[in-house]
Amino acid sequence: MSNKNDGGKRSARERMQEERAKQEAAARKKRQLTVILAALVVIAAAVVIGIVVQNGRSSSYDAAKDAPAGTVGNTRLLIPVGATNAPSTVTIYEDPRCPACEQFETGMKTTMNQLLAQGKIQIQYHIASFIDRHDGGTGSKNAANALACAQNVGLFHNYHDVLYANQPQETEDAWADKSILISLAKQVPGLDSPSFESCVNGNTFGSWVTAVQSDFDKSGYNSTPTVLLNGTSAYPTYNSQDISPANFTAWVDAANKGKPLASIPSASAEALASPTAHNNPPASGGASASHS
Amino acid sequence: MVAWIGTAVRLGLAVVWAWAGLAKISDPQAAAQAVRVYRILPEGLVKPFGYGLPFLEIALALLLLVGLGTRIAAVISGVLLLVYIGAIASVWARGISIDCGCFGGGGAVAASQTAYWQEILRDCGFLLLSGWLIWRPKTRLSLDGWLAA
Repeated sequence: MSNKNDGGKRSARERMQEERAKQEAAARKKRQLTVILAALVVIAAAVVIGIVVQNGRSSSYDAAKDAPAGTVGNTRLLIPVGATNAPSTVTIYEDPRCPACEQFETGMKTTMNQLLAQGKIQIQYHIASFIDRHDGGTGSKNAANALACAQNVGLFHNYHDVLYANQPQETEDAWADKSILISLAKQVPGLDSPSFESCVNGNTFGSWVTAVQSDFDKSGYNSTPTVLLNGTSAYPTYNSQDISPANFTAWVDAANKGKPLASIPSASAEALASPTAHNNPPASGGASASHS
Repeated sequence: MVAWIGTAVRLGLAVVWAWAGLAKISDPQAAAQAVRVYRILPEGLVKPFGYGLPFLEIALALLLLVGLGTRIAAVISGVLLLVYIGAIASVWARGISIDCGCFGGGGAVAASQTAYWQEILRDCGFLLLSGWLIWRPKTRLSLDGWLAA
Protein backbone atom coordinates (compact mmCIF):
# COMPACT_ATOMS: atom_id res chain seq x y z
CA MET A 1 0.00 0.00 0.00
CA SER A 2 2.71 2.37 1.05
CA ASN A 3 4.59 1.58 -2.14
CA LYS A 4 1.67 2.52 -4.20
CA ASN A 5 1.28 5.71 -2.23
CA ASP A 6 4.99 6.65 -2.77
CA GLY A 7 4.69 5.99 -6.47
CA GLY A 8 1.69 8.29 -6.66
CA LYS A 9 3.58 11.06 -4.85
CA ARG A 10 6.61 10.72 -7.09
CA SER A 11 4.61 10.84 -10.21
CA ALA A 12 2.77 13.92 -8.96
CA ARG A 13 6.11 15.64 -8.25
CA GLU A 14 7.40 14.66 -11.66
CA ARG A 15 4.27 15.94 -13.27
CA MET A 16 4.70 19.23 -11.46
CA GLN A 17 8.37 19.50 -12.50
CA GLU A 18 7.45 18.64 -16.05
CA GLU A 19 4.71 21.23 -16.00
CA ARG A 20 7.10 23.87 -14.63
CA ALA A 21 9.73 23.05 -17.23
CA LYS A 22 7.11 23.34 -19.94
CA GLN A 23 5.99 26.70 -18.61
CA GLU A 24 9.56 27.94 -18.43
CA ALA A 25 10.24 26.80 -21.97
CA ALA A 26 7.08 28.56 -23.14
CA ALA A 27 8.08 31.72 -21.26
CA ARG A 28 11.58 31.61 -22.78
CA LYS A 29 10.12 31.16 -26.23
CA LYS A 30 7.75 34.05 -25.64
CA ARG A 31 10.64 36.23 -24.45
CA GLN A 32 12.69 35.32 -27.52
CA LEU A 33 9.79 36.13 -29.82
CA THR A 34 9.30 39.46 -28.06
CA VAL A 35 12.98 40.30 -28.54
CA ILE A 36 12.85 39.36 -32.23
CA LEU A 37 9.71 41.42 -32.64
CA ALA A 38 11.31 44.38 -30.85
CA ALA A 39 14.38 44.14 -33.08
CA LEU A 40 12.22 44.04 -36.21
CA VAL A 41 10.19 47.02 -34.98
CA VAL A 42 13.41 49.02 -34.38
CA ILE A 43 14.62 48.19 -37.90
CA ALA A 44 11.30 48.94 -39.60
CA ALA A 45 10.90 52.22 -37.70
CA ALA A 46 14.44 53.31 -38.58
CA VAL A 47 13.94 52.57 -42.28
CA VAL A 48 10.56 54.30 -42.50
CA ILE A 49 11.76 57.34 -40.56
CA GLY A 50 14.90 57.43 -42.69
CA ILE A 51 13.02 57.41 -45.99
CA VAL A 52 10.62 60.10 -44.80
CA VAL A 53 13.38 62.34 -43.42
CA GLN A 54 15.61 61.98 -46.50
CA ASN A 55 12.64 62.63 -48.77
CA GLY A 56 11.95 65.82 -46.87
CA ARG A 57 15.60 66.86 -47.07
CA SER A 58 15.87 66.42 -50.82
CA SER A 59 14.89 69.88 -51.88
CA SER A 60 11.76 70.18 -53.93
CA TYR A 61 12.32 71.95 -57.22
CA ASP A 62 9.65 74.05 -58.88
CA ALA A 63 10.69 75.04 -62.40
CA ALA A 64 8.34 78.04 -62.40
CA LYS A 65 9.88 79.56 -59.26
CA ASP A 66 13.36 78.12 -58.83
CA ALA A 67 14.99 78.26 -62.27
CA PRO A 68 17.18 81.18 -63.38
CA ALA A 69 15.73 83.46 -66.06
CA GLY A 70 16.18 82.37 -69.65
CA THR A 71 16.68 78.66 -68.94
CA VAL A 72 15.06 76.20 -71.35
CA GLY A 73 13.86 72.61 -71.52
CA ASN A 74 10.80 70.92 -69.99
CA THR A 75 11.84 71.72 -66.46
CA ARG A 76 14.13 74.63 -67.34
CA LEU A 77 17.34 72.88 -66.37
CA LEU A 78 19.33 73.92 -69.47
CA ILE A 79 21.20 77.17 -70.05
CA PRO A 80 21.11 78.16 -73.74
CA VAL A 81 23.83 80.22 -75.41
CA GLY A 82 23.45 81.47 -78.98
CA ALA A 83 20.52 81.71 -81.38
CA THR A 84 17.46 79.57 -80.72
CA ASN A 85 16.96 79.01 -84.45
CA ALA A 86 20.54 77.89 -85.13
CA PRO A 87 20.43 74.70 -87.24
CA SER A 88 22.52 72.57 -84.87
CA THR A 89 22.29 72.08 -81.11
CA VAL A 90 25.37 71.27 -79.07
CA THR A 91 24.57 69.86 -75.64
CA ILE A 92 27.36 70.11 -73.08
CA TYR A 93 27.36 68.49 -69.63
CA GLU A 94 30.06 70.12 -67.52
CA ASP A 95 31.03 70.21 -63.87
CA PRO A 96 32.74 73.46 -62.80
CA ARG A 97 35.44 71.53 -60.92
CA CYS A 98 36.09 68.92 -63.62
CA PRO A 99 39.62 69.17 -65.07
CA ALA A 100 38.68 67.35 -68.30
CA CYS A 101 36.01 70.03 -68.83
CA GLU A 102 38.63 72.71 -68.36
CA GLN A 103 40.81 71.00 -70.99
CA PHE A 104 37.82 70.76 -73.34
CA GLU A 105 37.01 74.44 -72.77
CA THR A 106 40.60 75.56 -73.25
CA GLY A 107 40.95 73.61 -76.47
CA MET A 108 37.50 74.19 -77.97
CA LYS A 109 36.26 77.50 -76.52
CA THR A 110 37.39 79.68 -79.43
CA THR A 111 35.86 77.32 -81.99
CA MET A 112 32.60 77.00 -80.08
CA ASN A 113 32.30 80.76 -79.67
CA GLN A 114 32.95 81.27 -83.39
CA LEU A 115 30.30 78.72 -84.36
CA LEU A 116 27.89 80.50 -82.00
CA ALA A 117 28.66 83.89 -83.54
CA GLN A 118 28.19 82.50 -87.07
CA GLY A 119 24.71 81.28 -86.12
CA LYS A 120 25.68 77.68 -86.80
CA ILE A 121 25.02 76.27 -83.34
CA GLN A 122 23.20 76.87 -80.12
CA ILE A 123 24.83 75.43 -77.01
CA GLN A 124 22.69 74.03 -74.20
CA TYR A 125 24.63 73.65 -70.97
CA HIS A 126 23.85 71.18 -68.19
CA ILE A 127 25.85 72.42 -65.21
CA ALA A 128 26.48 69.23 -63.23
CA SER A 129 27.97 69.28 -59.73
CA PHE A 130 28.86 65.71 -58.81
CA ILE A 131 32.58 66.29 -58.19
CA ASP A 132 31.62 67.58 -54.75
CA ARG A 133 30.35 64.14 -53.75
CA HIS A 134 33.20 62.43 -55.59
CA ASP A 135 36.09 64.40 -54.06
CA GLY A 136 34.27 65.98 -51.14
CA GLY A 137 33.58 69.68 -50.81
CA THR A 138 31.12 72.27 -52.07
CA GLY A 139 33.01 74.07 -54.86
CA SER A 140 31.05 72.56 -57.75
CA LYS A 141 27.70 73.38 -56.21
CA ASN A 142 28.79 76.90 -55.27
CA ALA A 143 30.11 77.53 -58.77
CA ALA A 144 27.01 76.02 -60.42
CA ASN A 145 24.85 78.31 -58.29
CA ALA A 146 27.03 81.31 -59.18
CA LEU A 147 26.69 80.42 -62.87
CA ALA A 148 22.92 80.31 -62.39
CA CYS A 149 23.10 83.75 -60.74
CA ALA A 150 25.02 85.02 -63.80
CA GLN A 151 22.50 83.39 -66.16
CA ASN A 152 19.72 85.13 -64.24
CA VAL A 153 21.16 88.50 -65.33
CA GLY A 154 22.12 87.34 -68.84
CA LEU A 155 25.89 87.07 -68.25
CA PHE A 156 26.34 83.30 -68.10
CA HIS A 157 28.49 82.91 -71.22
CA ASN A 158 31.12 85.42 -70.15
CA TYR A 159 31.26 84.24 -66.52
CA HIS A 160 31.39 80.58 -67.64
CA ASP A 161 34.50 81.31 -69.72
CA VAL A 162 36.06 83.26 -66.83
CA LEU A 163 35.48 80.41 -64.37
CA TYR A 164 37.06 77.78 -66.62
CA ALA A 165 40.02 80.08 -67.29
CA ASN A 166 40.53 80.29 -63.50
CA GLN A 167 39.65 76.75 -62.45
CA PRO A 168 41.47 75.56 -59.32
CA GLN A 169 42.99 72.07 -59.03
CA GLU A 170 40.25 69.44 -58.81
CA THR A 171 41.26 68.33 -55.34
CA GLU A 172 41.71 71.84 -54.00
CA ASP A 173 38.04 72.92 -53.70
CA ALA A 174 38.97 76.62 -53.73
CA TRP A 175 35.39 77.51 -54.72
CA ALA A 176 34.13 76.28 -51.38
CA ASP A 177 35.03 79.90 -50.59
CA LYS A 178 32.25 81.87 -52.30
CA SER A 179 34.23 85.10 -52.10
CA ILE A 180 36.57 83.72 -54.78
CA LEU A 181 33.60 83.24 -57.11
CA ILE A 182 32.50 86.80 -56.41
CA SER A 183 36.01 88.07 -56.96
CA LEU A 184 36.11 86.32 -60.36
CA ALA A 185 32.75 87.91 -61.21
CA LYS A 186 34.41 91.32 -60.94
CA GLN A 187 36.15 90.54 -64.25
CA VAL A 188 32.77 90.43 -66.01
CA PRO A 189 31.50 93.98 -66.64
CA GLY A 190 28.11 94.50 -65.01
CA LEU A 191 27.99 91.16 -63.17
CA ASP A 192 29.14 91.95 -59.66
CA SER A 193 26.38 93.70 -57.73
CA PRO A 194 24.86 93.43 -54.26
CA SER A 195 22.08 91.23 -55.65
CA PHE A 196 24.58 88.96 -57.44
CA GLU A 197 26.64 88.64 -54.26
CA SER A 198 23.61 87.80 -52.17
CA CYS A 199 22.57 85.29 -54.85
CA VAL A 200 25.98 83.60 -54.61
CA ASN A 201 26.25 83.79 -50.83
CA GLY A 202 22.63 82.77 -50.24
CA ASN A 203 22.78 79.80 -52.64
CA THR A 204 19.66 81.22 -54.29
CA PHE A 205 19.53 78.60 -57.07
CA GLY A 206 20.52 75.67 -54.85
CA SER A 207 17.40 73.63 -55.57
CA TRP A 208 17.90 74.20 -59.32
CA VAL A 209 21.53 73.06 -59.02
CA THR A 210 20.36 69.90 -57.24
CA ALA A 211 17.68 69.30 -59.88
CA VAL A 212 20.20 69.68 -62.72
CA GLN A 213 22.55 67.19 -61.05
CA SER A 214 19.65 64.82 -60.42
CA ASP A 215 18.79 65.04 -64.12
CA PHE A 216 22.42 64.25 -64.99
CA ASP A 217 22.36 61.27 -62.59
CA LYS A 218 19.35 59.88 -64.42
CA SER A 219 20.70 60.67 -67.89
CA GLY A 220 22.88 57.57 -68.07
CA TYR A 221 25.89 59.72 -68.96
CA ASN A 222 28.43 59.22 -66.24
CA SER A 223 31.33 61.55 -66.92
CA THR A 224 31.95 65.14 -67.85
CA PRO A 225 32.42 66.66 -70.28
CA THR A 226 29.71 64.92 -72.24
CA VAL A 227 29.24 66.72 -75.55
CA LEU A 228 26.42 65.95 -77.97
CA LEU A 229 26.07 67.32 -81.48
CA ASN A 230 22.37 67.15 -82.34
CA GLY A 231 22.00 64.37 -79.78
CA THR A 232 24.97 62.27 -80.93
CA SER A 233 28.03 61.98 -78.72
CA ALA A 234 30.86 64.18 -80.04
CA TYR A 235 33.40 63.78 -77.24
CA PRO A 236 36.01 62.41 -77.38
CA THR A 237 35.06 61.15 -80.86
CA TYR A 238 32.30 61.54 -83.46
CA ASN A 239 32.02 59.06 -86.33
CA SER A 240 35.32 57.66 -85.04
CA GLN A 241 37.15 60.96 -85.60
CA ASP A 242 38.80 62.67 -82.64
CA ILE A 243 37.39 66.01 -81.56
CA SER A 244 39.50 69.03 -82.59
CA PRO A 245 38.65 72.59 -83.61
CA ALA A 246 38.89 71.72 -87.33
CA ASN A 247 37.02 68.43 -87.02
CA PHE A 248 34.25 69.86 -84.88
CA THR A 249 33.70 72.70 -87.34
CA ALA A 250 33.55 70.19 -90.19
CA TRP A 251 31.05 68.02 -88.28
CA VAL A 252 28.82 71.03 -87.65
CA ASP A 253 29.04 72.17 -91.29
CA ALA A 254 28.16 68.67 -92.46
CA ALA A 255 25.19 68.53 -90.08
CA ASN A 256 24.04 71.99 -91.17
CA LYS A 257 24.24 71.26 -94.90
CA GLY A 258 21.27 72.73 -96.70
CA LYS A 259 19.88 74.40 -93.59
CA PRO A 260 19.69 78.18 -93.15
CA LEU A 261 21.97 79.63 -90.45
CA ALA A 262 20.54 81.82 -87.73
CA SER A 263 21.04 85.48 -88.50
CA ILE A 264 22.69 87.25 -85.61
CA PRO A 265 23.01 91.04 -85.25
CA SER A 266 26.68 92.04 -85.47
CA ALA A 267 26.86 93.35 -81.90
CA SER A 268 25.62 90.04 -80.44
CA ALA A 269 27.81 88.11 -82.84
CA GLU A 270 30.82 89.96 -81.51
CA ALA A 271 29.79 89.23 -77.92
CA LEU A 272 29.32 85.53 -78.74
CA ALA A 273 32.63 85.28 -80.58
CA SER A 274 34.66 86.69 -77.71
CA PRO A 275 32.52 87.02 -74.58
CA THR A 276 35.47 87.99 -72.39
CA ALA A 277 37.00 90.55 -74.79
CA HIS A 278 36.03 93.59 -72.75
CA ASN A 279 36.51 92.10 -69.31
CA ASN A 280 38.26 93.86 -66.48
CA PRO A 281 41.75 92.60 -65.77
CA PRO A 282 41.83 90.11 -62.90
CA ALA A 283 42.45 91.71 -59.53
CA SER A 284 46.04 91.06 -58.53
CA GLY A 285 45.06 90.31 -54.95
CA GLY A 286 42.87 87.39 -55.98
CA ALA A 287 40.41 86.39 -53.32
CA SER A 288 41.51 89.07 -50.89
CA ALA A 289 40.05 91.77 -53.15
CA SER A 290 36.58 90.34 -52.75
CA HIS A 291 35.91 91.64 -49.27
CA SER A 292 35.86 95.27 -50.34
CA MET B 1 35.51 32.87 -23.31
CA VAL B 2 33.37 32.20 -26.38
CA ALA B 3 30.87 34.73 -25.04
CA TRP B 4 33.60 37.37 -24.85
CA ILE B 5 34.72 36.66 -28.42
CA GLY B 6 31.06 37.07 -29.35
CA THR B 7 31.03 40.48 -27.69
CA ALA B 8 34.04 41.57 -29.74
CA VAL B 9 32.46 40.24 -32.95
CA ARG B 10 29.15 41.93 -32.15
CA LEU B 11 30.79 45.30 -31.46
CA GLY B 12 33.01 44.95 -34.53
CA LEU B 13 30.02 44.37 -36.79
CA ALA B 14 28.19 47.26 -35.07
CA VAL B 15 31.07 49.61 -35.94
CA VAL B 16 31.04 48.41 -39.56
CA TRP B 17 27.30 49.07 -39.95
CA ALA B 18 27.44 52.39 -38.13
CA TRP B 19 30.28 53.59 -40.32
CA ALA B 20 28.58 52.37 -43.50
CA GLY B 21 25.24 53.92 -42.57
CA LEU B 22 26.45 57.27 -41.23
CA ALA B 23 28.64 57.86 -44.30
CA LYS B 24 25.55 57.67 -46.51
CA ILE B 25 23.04 59.92 -44.76
CA SER B 26 24.54 63.36 -45.29
CA ASP B 27 23.81 63.48 -49.04
CA PRO B 28 20.56 61.67 -49.97
CA GLN B 29 21.01 62.49 -53.66
CA ALA B 30 24.42 60.82 -53.71
CA ALA B 31 23.03 57.81 -51.83
CA ALA B 32 20.28 57.44 -54.43
CA GLN B 33 22.81 57.72 -57.26
CA ALA B 34 25.01 55.07 -55.62
CA VAL B 35 22.01 52.71 -55.85
CA ARG B 36 21.00 53.85 -59.34
CA VAL B 37 24.37 53.07 -60.97
CA TYR B 38 24.01 49.35 -60.15
CA ARG B 39 21.23 49.35 -62.80
CA ILE B 40 19.35 46.66 -60.91
CA LEU B 41 16.37 48.49 -59.40
CA PRO B 42 13.77 50.36 -61.44
CA GLU B 43 13.88 54.15 -61.07
CA GLY B 44 10.85 54.14 -58.75
CA LEU B 45 12.72 52.07 -56.16
CA VAL B 46 16.05 53.87 -56.38
CA LYS B 47 15.19 56.58 -53.86
CA PRO B 48 13.46 54.36 -51.26
CA PHE B 49 16.50 52.06 -51.26
CA GLY B 50 19.05 54.88 -51.40
CA TYR B 51 17.32 56.68 -48.54
CA GLY B 52 16.32 53.61 -46.51
CA LEU B 53 19.38 51.31 -46.63
CA PRO B 54 21.64 53.60 -44.57
CA PHE B 55 19.01 53.65 -41.82
CA LEU B 56 18.66 49.87 -41.95
CA GLU B 57 22.44 49.72 -41.44
CA ILE B 58 22.29 52.16 -38.53
CA ALA B 59 19.43 50.21 -36.92
CA LEU B 60 21.50 47.01 -37.19
CA ALA B 61 24.45 48.86 -35.66
CA LEU B 62 22.32 49.98 -32.70
CA LEU B 63 20.86 46.51 -32.09
CA LEU B 64 24.31 44.91 -32.25
CA LEU B 65 25.81 47.63 -30.07
CA VAL B 66 23.36 47.01 -27.22
CA GLY B 67 23.05 43.31 -27.99
CA LEU B 68 19.29 43.25 -28.46
CA GLY B 69 18.03 40.47 -30.72
CA THR B 70 21.61 39.60 -31.60
CA ARG B 71 20.69 36.51 -33.61
CA ILE B 72 17.98 38.18 -35.71
CA ALA B 73 20.24 41.22 -36.25
CA ALA B 74 23.02 38.87 -37.35
CA VAL B 75 20.67 37.00 -39.70
CA ILE B 76 19.53 40.26 -41.31
CA SER B 77 23.16 41.42 -41.49
CA GLY B 78 24.08 38.23 -43.30
CA VAL B 79 21.20 38.50 -45.75
CA LEU B 80 22.05 42.15 -46.45
CA LEU B 81 25.72 41.30 -47.02
CA LEU B 82 24.75 38.49 -49.40
CA VAL B 83 22.57 40.97 -51.31
CA TYR B 84 25.49 43.44 -51.48
CA ILE B 85 27.93 40.76 -52.63
CA GLY B 86 25.45 39.60 -55.25
CA ALA B 87 24.88 43.16 -56.48
CA ILE B 88 28.62 43.86 -56.77
CA ALA B 89 29.18 40.54 -58.57
CA SER B 90 26.34 41.36 -60.95
CA VAL B 91 27.78 44.80 -61.77
CA TRP B 92 31.19 43.21 -62.26
CA ALA B 93 29.77 40.53 -64.57
CA ARG B 94 27.93 43.14 -66.65
CA GLY B 95 31.11 45.17 -67.13
CA ILE B 96 29.78 48.30 -65.43
CA SER B 97 32.44 50.45 -63.73
CA ILE B 98 31.29 51.82 -60.39
CA ASP B 99 32.41 52.40 -56.83
CA CYS B 100 30.28 50.09 -54.65
CA GLY B 101 29.27 53.04 -52.46
CA CYS B 102 29.54 50.71 -49.48
CA PHE B 103 30.89 53.38 -47.15
CA GLY B 104 29.49 56.49 -48.82
CA GLY B 105 30.53 57.79 -52.19
CA GLY B 106 29.51 55.52 -55.04
CA GLY B 107 28.68 56.32 -58.62
CA ALA B 108 30.49 55.71 -61.87
CA VAL B 109 34.27 55.50 -61.90
CA ALA B 110 36.88 54.80 -64.57
CA ALA B 111 37.26 51.10 -65.38
CA SER B 112 40.76 51.17 -63.87
CA GLN B 113 39.36 52.44 -60.56
CA THR B 114 37.03 49.55 -59.80
CA ALA B 115 37.84 47.39 -56.79
CA TYR B 116 35.29 44.56 -57.02
CA TRP B 117 37.57 41.84 -55.65
CA GLN B 118 38.49 43.85 -52.60
CA GLU B 119 34.89 44.93 -52.01
CA ILE B 120 33.57 41.37 -52.22
CA LEU B 121 36.36 39.98 -50.03
CA ARG B 122 35.72 42.66 -47.44
CA ASP B 123 32.01 41.88 -47.40
CA CYS B 124 32.82 38.16 -47.06
CA GLY B 125 34.84 39.04 -43.96
CA PHE B 126 31.81 40.85 -42.52
CA LEU B 127 29.71 37.84 -43.48
CA LEU B 128 31.95 35.65 -41.30
CA LEU B 129 31.29 37.99 -38.35
CA SER B 130 27.54 37.68 -38.95
CA GLY B 131 27.90 33.89 -39.22
CA TRP B 132 29.65 33.72 -35.85
CA LEU B 133 26.83 35.63 -34.18
CA ILE B 134 24.15 33.46 -35.79
CA TRP B 135 26.02 30.39 -34.48
CA ARG B 136 26.81 31.83 -31.03
CA PRO B 137 24.36 34.68 -30.32
CA LYS B 138 24.96 34.61 -26.55
CA THR B 139 27.50 37.33 -25.79
CA ARG B 140 28.67 39.19 -22.69
CA LEU B 141 27.49 42.75 -21.98
CA SER B 142 24.32 42.31 -24.01
CA LEU B 143 20.73 43.31 -23.47
CA ASP B 144 19.79 39.79 -24.51
CA GLY B 145 21.81 38.36 -21.60
CA TRP B 146 20.38 40.87 -19.15
CA LEU B 147 16.80 40.07 -20.24
CA ALA B 148 17.38 36.32 -19.93
CA ALA B 149 18.85 36.58 -16.42
